[in-house]
Amino acid sequence: MVKKIVSGNDAVGLGALRAGVKVVSGYPGTPSSEVIIGLLKRKDLSGTYVEWSVNEKVALEVAAGAAWAGKRSLVTMKMSGLNVAFDALASIAYSGCRGGMVIYVCDDPGVSAGMPEQDVRGFAQMADMPMLEPATVQESYDMTILAFELSEKIGGPVFVRSVTNVSQTHSQLEYEERTLPSDADIILEKDINKYTKAGAAICMEQHRAVIARLAEAEAYLDGQYASFKLGKKGGLGIITAGVAGVYLDEALALLSDYGIDRDELTILNTVATIPAPVKQIKEVVANCSQILVLEELEPYLERTVLQTAYQMGKILPIFGKLDGTYSRINCYDAFTVVRGLEKALNLRLPEDFYQAANCTDLAAPRPITTCAGCPHRGTYLAINQAIRKAGYKKDEVMVTGDIGCTILGMNPPFYSIWTEVSMGTSIPLAQGFVKAGLKTPVIATIGDSTFFHGGMPGLINAIQHNIPVTVIIMDNGWTAMTGMQVNPNTAQEFQGEDWKQLDLAKIIPALGIEQFYQVDPYQLTEMTDILTDCMKKPGVKVILARRECAIQTNRRKIKYGTMKLDQNKCTNCKACISVTGCPALSIVDGNIEIDQNLCNGCGLCTYSCKFSALTREDC
Amino acid sequence: MKKLDIFIVGVGGQGVLTIGDIIAMAMGEKNYITSFYPTKGMAQRGGFVKAQLRIGEGLGPNIPLKGADVIISMERSESLKAAPYIHDKTKFIIYGHTWFPTGVMLGKDNYPAKEAVVDALAGAGAQVVYLDEEDLPLYEGAPMAENIYLLGGVVATGALEEFVSIADIAEAIANKWPKGAERNLASFYAGVEAAKKLLA
Repeated sequence: MVKKIVSGNDAVGLGALRAGVKVVSGYPGTPSSEVIIGLLKRKDLSGTYVEWSVNEKVALEVAAGAAWAGKRSLVTMKMSGLNVAFDALASIAYSGCRGGMVIYVCDDPGVSAGMPEQDVRGFAQMADMPMLEPATVQESYDMTILAFELSEKIGGPVFVRSVTNVSQTHSQLEYEERTLPSDADIILEKDINKYTKAGAAICMEQHRAVIARLAEAEAYLDGQYASFKLGKKGGLGIITAGVAGVYLDEALALLSDYGIDRDELTILNTVATIPAPVKQIKEVVANCSQILVLEELEPYLERTVLQTAYQMGKILPIFGKLDGTYSRINCYDAFTVVRGLEKALNLRLPEDFYQAANCTDLAAPRPITTCAGCPHRGTYLAINQAIRKAGYKKDEVMVTGDIGCTILGMNPPFYSIWTEVSMGTSIPLAQGFVKAGLKTPVIATIGDSTFFHGGMPGLINAIQHNIPVTVIIMDNGWTAMTGMQVNPNTAQEFQGEDWKQLDLAKIIPALGIEQFYQVDPYQLTEMTDILTDCMKKPGVKVILARRECAIQTNRRKIKYGTMKLDQNKCTNCKACISVTGCPALSIVDGNIEIDQNLCNGCGLCTYSCKFSALTREDC
Repeated sequence: MKKLDIFIVGVGGQGVLTIGDIIAMAMGEKNYITSFYPTKGMAQRGGFVKAQLRIGEGLGPNIPLKGADVIISMERSESLKAAPYIHDKTKFIIYGHTWFPTGVMLGKDNYPAKEAVVDALAGAGAQVVYLDEEDLPLYEGAPMAENIYLLGGVVATGALEEFVSIADIAEAIANKWPKGAERNLASFYAGVEAAKKLLA
């Protein structure tokens, strides 16, 4: 037994290794990325294969193949990734699997990383798949191991669903060293009834089977893992899912003056909403006169409690989201639980109980900016200049955006990008504007990893239908926003030992694009001219704006030059700051100053200075 | 059961999370149960960064409103965002670095004065210790590590003393950077001395 402070995500990786996982795949996405980041850092992975896949659907399919061959596999993603992967997953869930297959997915209640504040428990319900919900770092480890066992027991894939608060929290974990993957023979099972969807009879039989597997999972989990205690007959029952239940004792401590006897409470902490522990829920309903349901986001557990009570013929107050006690928005803390207890127990808390100081009005607004030296800055500046040069106003030219660092151009001082939807949406969305009849030019922007992930079909569609659109692929060589993962386009020297780089500069022309331009976004005049020209031309134009991410080059101590400011020429007009928003430029004692530690000499600020006060010297 | 809730704020790139990391390491060494929850979405991009460090059993990741026993801030303006976590015994230690957002540099937005920040936080009930960035000493000609200097200031207020000693934190610092121990410990003890002077 080892005891160490690790994150919830690391605990999932350690749990999978303990369970003897053979194949691990995934696509980066906050708050789930550290499972694979942690595994790839290990030196003792022999026997276990780990990869960042091109997208979540591919990652899931890789994991499914391994599980169908009888080996244990893990696939990781954020909630948005499950939206992408679900097409394959639904089919795989209906087929089942032989080796244990675990899908680890993180929701983000409270939205620390952007994207819809959705609740993936809905997917478990739709696919009739068990979904375990760890509430702590230790449970993240324990439930990953349990999920592999459960998956093999029922013969189908199992979810482990975490949330930002659990996956990103670092706590003491007690764990065992890894178990090497099983060296049993590969299973090669030829069975079209199980592994294809050929015909109604097969599909309906698989539907029956997946429902039966969920029932079997409920029986397997029964009572073993939920923590349950009966309290006073006719008292309050509390049913919790995931991390929401962890705050109960803290809430009781905050209410210590209000005479709540914990022993009188009936408390059921579930390990899964799907399948819910219906047997214990029935006991809570039978024992209590009212029930408080604690779960973040959507009322999935609450609906099951309501339905169970109805089927038992018992009408009792159920406090949760459906009666308006709680909002479906945001994550929980102890005060959230206090609010529920106040209502359920009819406490009268003083007015100031929930009041806290608020001084945010005094604080300076701090919008997210792009890093000093970020090559995307050049693209945003080129877009803004080209629109002017082509004779349009900024509000006349639609510039669709995509997922990742490339979206930062929506913020000041650029305000270049209009939309952010999902991986790869920028190009088809732009096509829609064109076909709606928009007469002004349309520009789509997308990063290199996002392009491979979900952007290629959209581009191919635009090429086939000859859409007048300019696509800018902002190629910084990395999956940057999530912490610098390797993607297919990353330079060969950073690829895995026997992996192969797919060079966008070769792939795009091979798609049959005649108007293809490769530019360096640090060369602002050239990029602006090309883009201005593209906006006037028919058909699909692709500009590959290629320059490596400045965070990565900084780590390798690369500087492109030294910026000099001639204070005699500088008029303090501040255009360099207001146009580029570069964090390396600031005003010290009334004068512009360059922070040479931050500056990598990209030279983009020189274009903003009308007085030639800023110059670049080569290193 | 003893508990201690520490709320940490600053701007990405300042080494804010390292402060929590070191305290968590020292607490872990003493076998206290720790829950360290950093929010690092924009950590490298000059955005607001916060971390919640909770010591004690049965605590969820989020500190409740009015629940922080200690608040540590590395940026003057960002200090204000921690105000909702102040209770009447909160120790609030600030390293008054001023990191102006673009809007402030261009004169479009206001940036709070030191007095306004201290008054607002003290008005909410906190005992405020404010280490001026102008007072940051040099070590071998270069400015000391600001985050470790601030950590020294935190320890000097006695905010952690029920759990870990100055020596325990110093040991955690030395363990984290075996090669840079001397330099970092110099920053740490300079912070201790600076805060002691303010408290005297």
